[in-house]
Amino acid sequence: MEYLLEGFRQGFLLLFSGDPEAYSAIWATVYASTLSMFCSLAIGVPLGFLLGYKEFPGKKVVRTIVDTLLSFPTVVIGLVVYAFLTRHGPLGGSGLLFTIPGMAIGQTLLGLPIIIAMTANAVESLDKRLPMTLITLGASSGQMMWATVLEARYSIMLAAMAAYGRIVSEVGISMMVGGNIKWHTRTITTAIALETGKGEFAVGIALGMVLLTVALLVNIGAAGLKKRAVQ
Amino acid sequence: MTTPLITLDSIRQRYSDRTVLDIEHMEFSEGTITGLAGPNGSGKSTLLRMLAFLEPPAKGTINFLGRPASAKTSVTRQITLLVQEPYLLKRTVFANVAYGLRIRKKNDIPAKVTRALEVVGLDPAVFAKRQWFELSGGEVQRVALAARLVLKPKLLLMDEPTASLDAKSAELIHQAALSARDEYGAALVVASHDMGWLETVTDHIHYLENGRLVRTV
Repeated sequence: MEYLLEGFRQGFLLLFSGDPEAYSAIWATVYASTLSMFCSLAIGVPLGFLLGYKEFPGKKVVRTIVDTLLSFPTVVIGLVVYAFLTRHGPLGGSGLLFTIPGMAIGQTLLGLPIIIAMTANAVESLDKRLPMTLITLGASSGQMMWATVLEARYSIMLAAMAAYGRIVSEVGISMMVGGNIKWHTRTITTAIALETGKGEFAVGIALGMVLLTVALLVNIGAAGLKKRAVQ
Repeated sequence: MTTPLITLDSIRQRYSDRTVLDIEHMEFSEGTITGLAGPNGSGKSTLLRMLAFLEPPAKGTINFLGRPASAKTSVTRQITLLVQEPYLLKRTVFANVAYGLRIRKKNDIPAKVTRALEVVGLDPAVFAKRQWFELSGGEVQRVALAARLVLKPKLLLMDEPTASLDAKSAELIHQAALSARDEYGAALVVASHDMGWLETVTDHIHYLENGRLVRTV
């Protein structure tokens, strides 16, 4: 028990003394997750909107595929992205393997199904009186689509938070595609895995506390958004 | 003789194999108030949705100022419908009332919104910044009416606008609706069970039964 408490004490010291290795991992995490969130939202919100808003043949099949992808293991995504980015892979010449943008590609694939599925659900569950209201106020079809996105904005933000929570806490993609390279692609989660394996609990606990703080902030934000989304 | 604002000819509407509306001829002129009366299921709401171009008739034609009109023509921007339980956008009262003006790229929006809120008896200083979830049922109805009055429609359709409101809110809705005719000559078509009000303010009342026009008073 004592070594755990000592781990916490040292963890706090590392964080508040500005330990460069710990902050390098934090920076890599923030950089990769921001990049992947931007891509997930830019691609996922329009696709999720269309999936929820439009009727088309095969819609149920697409929904089933998206829902299945929600539980895609991160190591499998890591494996697929690695296979594409490795020297002999189709995108081998891009030089993205073992880089943060490369990790962001994998994390985008992880976040996309969450954004698409939750955005589609948000649009489908909007009040049935909304289209009639917009028509009677004179909205064109393009204006109706934009107003519908705005009506679902709290649920879409909720989707973004859920995706962020999954992206920031994943290990498999960062490890396989990023390579866990010190000062470069080592993220909070890969650093925790490595340091714990070495018996260095302090760094692991310090970074774990950062992750828990992020999770707490995400959940506080999500609670507020959930309230707004159902009003 | 002036051309009626909107004319229905040989209109039929069917849901599954049931005829819900069967109107040979009906017309509405600018500056008039027409009541629609009849039991539930008599076709009043279907008729209003058709006049608002929310659903096309299975058969027949609708003319607006003498020309054939449909949901794809620009006349839809001159017609608006207020239902019994309207939906407000998840925005402030001001943004709700301003929505129709903004998508029409109108000028002087704040002054117009302020005036519309005053017409429906809501103090702009108190209500303009309120969020959609901070309103009572009567206030929601009045904001929804303000959002329609501010557009100065040529045809204002109202489907049981006061059925779920208290007497004070209902009176404010009645007064505001009449202002649309008095201020800019809109035609009003009102479906209501409030026969006392209909008989007081309307120029004529169409009685519907089983989708058919049975008499006009």
